[in-house]
Amino acid sequence: MTSLMSVIPKLYQEYTSKTPKKLKIIDAYLLYIFLTAVIQFVYCCLVGTFPFNSFLSGFISTVSSFVLAVCLRLQVNPDNKNEFQGLSAERGFADFIFAHLVLHIVVINFIG
Amino acid sequence: MNIYLLFGIVLCCSAAQAEQETLVLVDNLNVRETHSQFFKSLQDRGYTLTYKLADDANLVLAKYGQYLYKNLIIFAPSVIEFGGQIDAEAITKFIDDGGNLLMAGNSVAGDVYREIASECGFEMDEESAAVIDHFNYDANDDGEHTRIVVSPKNLINSPTIVGPQNLQPLLFEGTGLILDKDNNLVLPILTADSTAYSYNPKSQVKEYPHAVGRKTVLIAALQARNNARIVFSGSLFFFSDEAFNSAISKVHGDKVKSSKSGNKDLAVHLSQWAFGERGRLRVRSVRHHRQGEKESTTTYTITDTVVYRIEIEELKNGKWQPFDANDVQLEFVRIDPFIRTTLKRQPNGAYEAVFKVPDVWGVYQFKIDYDRVGYTRLYHSTQVSVRPLQHTQYERFIPSAYPYYVSAFSMMVGVFLFSFVFLYYKEDTPKTKSE
Repeated sequence: MTSLMSVIPKLYQEYTSKTPKKLKIIDAYLLYIFLTAVIQFVYCCLVGTFPFNSFLSGFISTVSSFVLAVCLRLQVNPDNKNEFQGLSAERGFADFIFAHLVLHIVVINFIG
Repeated sequence: MNIYLLFGIVLCCSAAQAEQETLVLVDNLNVRETHSQFFKSLQDRGYTLTYKLADDANLVLAKYGQYLYKNLIIFAPSVIEFGGQIDAEAITKFIDDGGNLLMAGNSVAGDVYREIASECGFEMDEESAAVIDHFNYDANDDGEHTRIVVSPKNLINSPTIVGPQNLQPLLFEGTGLILDKDNNLVLPILTADSTAYSYNPKSQVKEYPHAVGRKTVLIAALQARNNARIVFSGSLFFFSDEAFNSAISKVHGDKVKSSKSGNKDLAVHLSQWAFGERGRLRVRSVRHHRQGEKESTTTYTITDTVVYRIEIEELKNGKWQPFDANDVQLEFVRIDPFIRTTLKRQPNGAYEAVFKVPDVWGVYQFKIDYDRVGYTRLYHSTQVSVRPLQHTQYERFIPSAYPYYVSAFSMMVGVFLFSFVFLYYKEDTPKTKSE
């Protein structure tokens, strides 16, 4: 327990000092998506699944956005440079935007 | 010219009479006289009777693949083998092809009878066995108690087969039948009383009789799946003039007395049913459409309200007339019935059902399967498809879905804003890169 108590401040410190700002922006974005998804889920549990397609498209759009943002974070992270050799951060961002285009077209079609 | 005209008229008449062509097989031509009242009732109703000896070497049922007769009467219990092309197999095929059969035997009936009976789902008792009832025999009985008096209460409860009113007691003398319980096409028309049994009257009862009490069936009927009808009587005497005319007085029990037996009425009704004069149903028309529309359609949308209307006719006195019943059911079937509803009676023999198509799409059938004792089986099915809502028929902008809309659009706005922040953000210290 004590070790856990000591790990958390350490982790936080490491995060604030070592993580590049760019990744922190992505993390903030991820948090925002996560909260939206949770709110939607709670709402669905309260109201029921009636416009099920709407719920699905709303929820899936948040989940997919989250996944795409995580992917972007992986590619942009300087620690992973070796794994993405020859793929620049800009290329990763372009992929991210393209995937989002496809995603939102599908979501709008399905939302009803 | 005149000859051609005559020929034409004869041809037309014979076509109209085709339903009425009847072959009567007898074991001696005396039967024509001893059963004259029964045959006369048939002739009066328009049947053309062709009498032949059952062992006539030129007997044929069909010529060039066409049946010469629609109905067959076999009143020949003593026959050992039929003549010509007729045998049990030919008669079975005749029934399979839709022919009607009226057959009467007695206690001396031979193996051919047994064979035909078992093909039809009845079993005749052993040779020389007769139905004996020591409590219900007639005064004219010759001492063996085989001429039994049967109450009309033992008749099957089906006015279509036995006629609306049977009040006179019935005379019966002959062999008993046993029915296979599992065969649900076979009907016991007349059963013996609980005191009856079937055994050889001349010998002592040593074994348990094959048919005892109410299980002894005196007259049985079968309506095959192709609506061919068979009436099988254990007694030829039942149809005779003697039985038709004789007075009845029971020796024991309630000592029922009657100046006339009920045999004639029942025999006439049975022959009417067997030869398809009664109890025949047909579908006149079928219509179905959406409620509030006139046009019929083959495609419905889920949760549509459908009106289904069928007109059913019954053959009565030679004419097709509206059929009257209150138990006709409709099924709306997609492999399983999704809806089963009783049709509502409308004037003029029409039946109507209004129901909501289930919320499941697929290929469905409207099915009417009306199978009642005494009536031909009525089956009609119409196939329709039920499709889901069209893309434009869905509900839009449902209030409870707004949070989802907001979330989806906030995701788009979010990625838009995030792009700006992400692209325009410059790392202020080159420290991270050097690390």
